[in-house]
Formats: sequence, C-alpha cells, structure tokens
Amino acid sequence: MTLTRRDFIRAMALKSAAVAAATLFPGISFAGWTPTDLPADSILWSKTPCRFCGTGCGLLVGVSGQRAVAVKGDPNCSVNKGLCCVKGYHSIQILYGNDRFTTAYVRKNGKMVPTPIEDALDIVASQMKASIEKNGKDSVSIYGSGQWSIPDGYTASKFFKGCIGTNNVEANARLCMASAVTGCLTTFGLDEPMGCYEDIDNADVFITWGNNMAEMHPVLFSRMLANRKSKTHVQIIDLTTRSTRSSLAADKSILFTPQSDLAIANAICYEIVNNNWVNQEFVANHVSFHKGKTNIGYGTEDHFQFTEKAETIDFDEFKAFLSDYTPELAEKISGVSAEDIKYLAALYADPDKRVTSFWTMGMNQHTRGTWINNLVYNIHLLTGKISTPGNSPFSLTGQPSACGTVREVGTLTHKLPHGVVMNEGDRKMAAKIWDVPETNIDPKPTFHTVEMFRALDRGDINFMWIQVTNPMVTMPNLKRYREGAQKEDRFIVVSEIYPTPTSDVADVILPSALWVEREGFFGNSERRTQHNAQLVPKPGEAMCNTWQLIQVARRMGFEKQFPWKEETYIEDIWNEYTKFHDNPKHRMASYKVLTERSGVQWPFVDGKETRWRYNGKYDPACQADTWDFYGKPDHKAWVWLRPYEPAAESPDREYPFWLNTGRVLEHWHTGSMTRRIPILHKAVPESYVEINPEDARSLGVVNGSKVKISSRRGSIVMKASINGRGNPPEGMVFVPFFDESYLINELTLDAFCPISKQPDYKKCAVKLERA
Amino acid sequence: MEKPDLNPEEKPDYKIGKLFLLFAMIGVIALPIIIFKAFSISTGEALAKINKAPVSDFDHLAGQLFDTYNKTTPAYMEGNSTARTLNYYYSLRQYPGSPPFVPHDQVVEKGVEQTCLSCHERGGFVQAFNRFTPLTPHPQHTYCGQCHMKTVTEDLFRENDWVSVQVPKLGRSALAGSPPPIAHALQMRENCIACHVGPGTVVPIRVEHPMRGNCRQCHVPEETKALFSRNDR
Repeated sequence: MTLTRRDFIRAMALKSAAVAAATLFPGISFAGWTPTDLPADSILWSKTPCRFCGTGCGLLVGVSGQRAVAVKGDPNCSVNKGLCCVKGYHSIQILYGNDRFTTAYVRKNGKMVPTPIEDALDIVASQMKASIEKNGKDSVSIYGSGQWSIPDGYTASKFFKGCIGTNNVEANARLCMASAVTGCLTTFGLDEPMGCYEDIDNADVFITWGNNMAEMHPVLFSRMLANRKSKTHVQIIDLTTRSTRSSLAADKSILFTPQSDLAIANAICYEIVNNNWVNQEFVANHVSFHKGKTNIGYGTEDHFQFTEKAETIDFDEFKAFLSDYTPELAEKISGVSAEDIKYLAALYADPDKRVTSFWTMGMNQHTRGTWINNLVYNIHLLTGKISTPGNSPFSLTGQPSACGTVREVGTLTHKLPHGVVMNEGDRKMAAKIWDVPETNIDPKPTFHTVEMFRALDRGDINFMWIQVTNPMVTMPNLKRYREGAQKEDRFIVVSEIYPTPTSDVADVILPSALWVEREGFFGNSERRTQHNAQLVPKPGEAMCNTWQLIQVARRMGFEKQFPWKEETYIEDIWNEYTKFHDNPKHRMASYKVLTERSGVQWPFVDGKETRWRYNGKYDPACQADTWDFYGKPDHKAWVWLRPYEPAAESPDREYPFWLNTGRVLEHWHTGSMTRRIPILHKAVPESYVEINPEDARSLGVVNGSKVKISSRRGSIVMKASINGRGNPPEGMVFVPFFDESYLINELTLDAFCPISKQPDYKKCAVKLERA
Repeated sequence: MEKPDLNPEEKPDYKIGKLFLLFAMIGVIALPIIIFKAFSISTGEALAKINKAPVSDFDHLAGQLFDTYNKTTPAYMEGNSTARTLNYYYSLRQYPGSPPFVPHDQVVEKGVEQTCLSCHERGGFVQAFNRFTPLTPHPQHTYCGQCHMKTVTEDLFRENDWVSVQVPKLGRSALAGSPPPIAHALQMRENCIACHVGPGTVVPIRVEHPMRGNCRQCHVPEETKALFSRNDR
C-alpha cells in the first residue's frame, strides 16, 4: 500500500483531532467513519426497502462513488414516513464487514478451500444429482427464509417443486410466522392481514399480545406513540409475560402466566357474550361457528402427524363452551385479575372505540399458536371490529419478506405460488406456468422445518441447501440438529455473506450478493411489495441467490425452465410469478409501477391499492358493499371454539423457571449482520440472562455475575442482567438469542403447534445455578 | 435703624404663590405622563394578563431560550460549552446525518419517553456534565432509544471497512455576503434553532441573529448541483 502525502496529512489530521477529542472526552472514540475524498454533496440517493424486519421501512440509500455511504428514511414511503430505527440508519454497514465471503469455499479433507464459484456450482449440481440417483428426489432439500428476496424463493420453488419434483422446500419463516398463516387460513380461508399500518393512525385502543413492539417494531411503535400524543384518549394496553420497554410506555401493562393467553382471550369472549355486547348484526351476517380437535399434542416426537377435523356448531354451543372461561376462572389460570379481564373486554366491546390488536412471536411461537390466533380473531369478530380503519387484528412479521416470499410465493412444503400441492387445480396451474409436466409436482407434502432437520439427522435427507438463514443458531433443541448436519453422508450447501455457525457445518459455501448489491423485491407485513434496484457492485465473486439457483438448475438440465438473461432475469421472474396471482383477490403491481413507487399494496386492482380486505367499501374482490369474507366457501369468517391447554413443558421442582427467548432492538435475529455494524455491537456486545431481582437475591446473584442455566437438553453459562432493559416476573428468565457465543437454543424444546408446525421458543423449563 | 416693613402682607402671599407654582409645575410635567400612560396600555399585555399567558416578543423558540438565560444561576455563570467542537459532534456519528450515539452515562436503560426529553427538549445547564445540554431538533419523536444508544464497549465483533463521505462544508454563500445555503439534509433537522442557537451549540455553526426566527426565508437547502435548463424532462 502506498501512502501519498495527502493521505498522510489527512491521517495525521484525523489522528490529532482524535487525540484532542479523547483528551477532552475520555472514553469516547473519535471518528465513527473514515472520510473518503468524496465530498458530502456527491451522494446520489435511491429508494430501497430496509434489509431487516418485516415492518418494511422505505430507506433512501446514499451512494457516493461505488460505495453506500449514508441512509435517510424515505419520506415517500407511507410505512415509516421518513423515520427509521437505529438498525435501518446503519444498515448499509452490513455490506462492508471485513470477513465477507467474496469467494466460494469447498470442504476438502475437512478443510474449507477457496474455490472458483463456477467450480463450486458444478460440485453442488453433481452432489444433488448423485443424492437423487442414490436416495431418490426426496433426499434433497432447500431451506431458505423470509430474507429471501421474492425471485429467490420463486426460483427455489420452481426448481425443487416443479423441476426436481420434491416438496422439500421450507423456510425459517416456519419458525417465525407459520401460526399467523394457519390462523388466517382457519379463520378467513386466505392468508395475510386484512388491515394495514393506517390502522395505527386510526385506532383508539391498542392491545398488544405478548409483543415488545418498542424493540421489535420500533418504527410502528413510534407511530402508535405519535397517535397517542396527537389525541387525548388513545390507550395502549400491554399484555405480556415479562415487563419490557413497551410495558413502560403503555398506559397499562398486564402480566400473565405463559400459555394462559388462551384462557384470557376466551374470558374476554365470555364477557362480551354474557354482557350482550356481541355485534348481533355483524355476527348474524358474516360469522359462522366451528370447533376442531382438542388435546392435539406437541410434536416432540419424530414423525408426529396431525390432521384437523372441523365441525360446524351454533352460537349456543359456543356460548356453553365459554362458561368454562368466566373472568374468575381465567384469573386462576392466568394470574390476571378478573377485573382486568373485564376491563379488556369492555375496551374491545365499546362501540365508540376502534381497537387494534398487535402480536408477533408471543402468539405465533406457541404450541397452540394457531388457536391463540383464532381466539384473538374471535374477539374482533364478535364485536365486528375488523377490516375498517382502526379496527384491526394484526400479526406483525419479523423478516423483510416473510410475507412477500414465504407466504405469497409459498416456499413451504405444502404450498405452491397459488394454493397448495394437495389441490389438483393448483398443481395444474403451476405446471402450466412453469412449463413442466403436471406429474412432476408431488401432491403430498413432505417435511415441515423441524421434521426436515430431524430427517437430516435420521438420514432421510442427505442434501440440504441453506440460503439466507442461520439454522445452526435458531433451531430449537439445537444440539441434535447440529450433530445431524455434521454426520457422514450429509452434504450441506450454505449461501451466505459472513461466516456463521451454519457456514461452519457447510461442505460448500457460496458467497451471496446482499440486498442492494442485487435487484429484488420484499413483501412486508401489510401486503406491501417493495422493489430494490442494484445500487452498489457485488464484492468479489459474490452472486445473487436467485442466480445461484438458476446456475445449478441449468447444470441439472433445466435450461428450458430457466432461460433468462442476467441483465433482465429479475424482471422476467416478476412477470412470470405474478401470473399466479392474476385475480382481484391478490393482483400485484407491475414491475414498472414497483420500480417507480416506494411500495405497492396488493390486491392492486385497476391501479388502486387495497388498504382493507374483506370490506366491500375498500376491497374490489368483495361481492357486496359490506363485509364479504370471500376466503371461505360460506363467505363468512369462522369463529373457532379453542380451549386452554397447557404448555409442552412447564416449570417443575427440578426445573423451576420458565425460559423465554427473544430479541433486542440493536440486533436483528442471529446478529450475523448487525453484530458487524460497529455501533450496534458496541451498544450490545453480548447476550445475557434477565433474572427477576427477587430470584437473583435468593440465588445470590448480582448484576453481571455468571449464571448457569440448564434445561433437560443442555446448559449454558452467561452473565446475569438484573433490572436491565426488561424484567421477567419471578420464576422466569429471558435470554436474547442473537449471540452465537451463547447458543440458548441448545436449551429450548422442539415442541410445536400441531397445526402450524411452528416451534415454541418462549416456554420451556430450566434451572439456575451460580457459576 | 430698622428697615421698615414696607409690605408686611406680602410675605405669606409670596409663599402661597411659590407653592402654587410648584404644584402647577408638577402638574405640567406629570399630566402628560399620566395622560400618555393612560393611552399607552399595551393591548397584548392586557390580554396576556387576562389570559395569564406569558408575554413574548420572540420568534419561534428564541423566547424559550431567553427564559433560560433569564433564570441564570451561578452554575450557569461558570458553565462553558466551548469544549465541544464540530469534530466532536461528528465523532458520535457513522456518517454525516446518522443518529449520534449517547456519549454520557446518565441513560435510563428502560427509558422510553420522557427521560431523554426532560433535558434535551428544553436545554439548560447540567451541573453533572458541566455543560449546556444540546437540544433535539425533533422532540416530536418521543422514543429516543429507537435510534440513539449508549455504547458499552469499544471492541468490535469483526472489523468493518466502513468509510463515508467528508462532512459538509460550511459557508458556501453563492455571492459575497449572501446567506449561505443549508449544508445538510433537513429531514429530522427541520428545527434550525435547536442546533444553531443557544449555549448548547458549537461555535462555528451558532448564528448571530437568532431573533430572526424564519431561517428558511434566507437559507435554503441545496437540492441539486445542476443549473436550470428548459424542457429538462
């Protein structure tokens, strides 16, 4: 490296400034960045959705030279209206971590050897072929995520389901919002929320169910606070199992025992029914009543199967069922006073108040996740508070395209871009658009995520291609699945940007182009599709995930299905994909419109976005001017009779604490990106265990001292946080999962909701010791 | 010989006349003042008295700042804020315009709404830091922890090759003596007074005419470098 005189002077000037600042302000490092020669006004701004959560904030990324150098909130994007969170403002720094993968690696004699990417792609294709020849098509699998751009997921689905003919396509969104999907499907017959973020500006009451929005969806949380600030009567009620930042900002925070949300929701319904607060007209015209199986199990055993059997009932049977959930009885299960339950019911039922319910992982990562989704919908349906501005039951997503890619493209074992593999009509449609024989598409779903990793452990799956996700940090009961992935005769391909515990178990690592290094689309929580252009060059041999899939598919002989040119393939894929949704219920905006606007909500019919579905006033797919729940054959929304059932594993004498896991504001998911953002790592450098001060006292633990946490599956030693950001009640501990040095998922239980197959990361039993 | 009292009656009359003259003179001086006073009642003040509202002759936040000065305590008199520099302010950021991190300890970890704003919305001298508090330009956003954090370590997880552009240049008037354009993006920084007026601000960007509240009457953002050309679409 040569140092010019100018460089030298600049470096010296910076250093002396740094020294001066350091003397004046001890403990503060100078220079958050190294200024290049480029002046401040050399920046060109371009729109993109944020890379991180499912909120889908619009960003303006500033590019100077060939580098992304600054971020602003996109004022034209209605999601965030120009405001971001700290992750969004620093998001572009994820592009420049020193240890980016810029070349492919192939395991040779146990060591990862840098390999030209074309050779690595050859190896991937030949390994796939070999596995299919030896063990059949269902021995190969792909595991993606809600961080997949829409073209990634679409290409994966077409390649695996259409061309190879296996339904071994899953995504980590199964761990994240599968219960929200099955909740929507069982109640409304179609997936995704009916409302939108405008509900936040219109609601009078917000009830958050086990949802720490202040840290997980800060931009939406701020929008909620802004609504409250602009009016005098707006209330935020925080229903939670642990006191959080959101609890402190709420007007009222109600603590409940884990899993007892089922009882609380039923008790709210009991109050509504028994006080004659039911919106009779709405219920008579737009709601039907149903019950399903009970005692449905927890899926902790291999090959677990569950088939729901729905039965239509009448209102009186529903009313009789609710008699088990008087507020007083629910108080015994939940620890929430009958008075508070009555208060909640009164808020939901007040005809003058518009009520929005928000939830994320508290309700979705739940062994009865589908049920609790149904139950909160029940409350909104009994009161008719749905699909109108401000009245909205709303599941927020955690990943930028969990909706756009996993839910809409359908990268789950039973799904197709339109409909499910079990349905002949849906298979025919897919075969026609994909230009493959109809017989290629297997009508039988194979493995959901947990079972797919069990199959990898058992040897039923030999080949797994993992893209844009980090299962070796996020799988529950992690030890089993890591050891399974490392067994002989397993071949793991990982498309990644940085080394992670998942790339550690890979046989081939493919360097991926990330976010604004390639063109793509995300779809956020409120049915908004957002396009991003490529803004900066790809580093080294890094390749877009879609293009990686296309390259391997071509090597396996599917040139006909993947004919696109590198210059235009993203647009071509969009044009092909949107054929699946070309109906008023799900029509999507054209490529051109998406490139011009900061996101467009579907159904996009006759140039108009749909803010509220199922309401004829707003939704062109409705057959009437009033509510029309057209997802169900009876054009009604289904109220489900769902009882309280206990968690899969509850604290006992040996393991007396609940273990709850989750995120912090500064880090996104497993931290493989955000930990490489200097300022975010400096703010939260490592994980910790939150312990209630009373429990800490009886354990003899002070803030920062080491604690050993053990479950029936594993143990971990980490620092205690007492009276920190969050405070769990007595008998519960909370651990953020972002830190790969503290793999808390070695302790969690792989129990899941039998209907959605989404695991419960919020409830298992642990014991604590001083370490 | 004793001088005869020529006019013994004159003396008391003389005194009365003097007294009268004095009264007359007081009257002549005082009357216009009284009359003037009577006609010069400020309606604004009177209304303010009725409404119990404070009187303000200031534009925008300047009045609030005046009040801050007005309540000066000895601590204020000793306080100085000159140690802060623009370089220091930029050192709290990752690029020009990024949200700065929190450089002091007094952070309530749980704080969501009022904890930061109790100082940063109003300003004033803080004895604990021996500094004047910088004001936030966007107090309407109340969840400060969404964007501003305190760092607890200087170590990195992995090194990062991050670079950004130079900081914006100051001044840059188009003509000699003309008002300089705004050197930074206005988003989240629409309130000029917060950072350019008052003792919490850094010297090079402090304006000398804060009483002129409508800053963007003269200072405009430079949205493009390109010059006007017709039919440029």
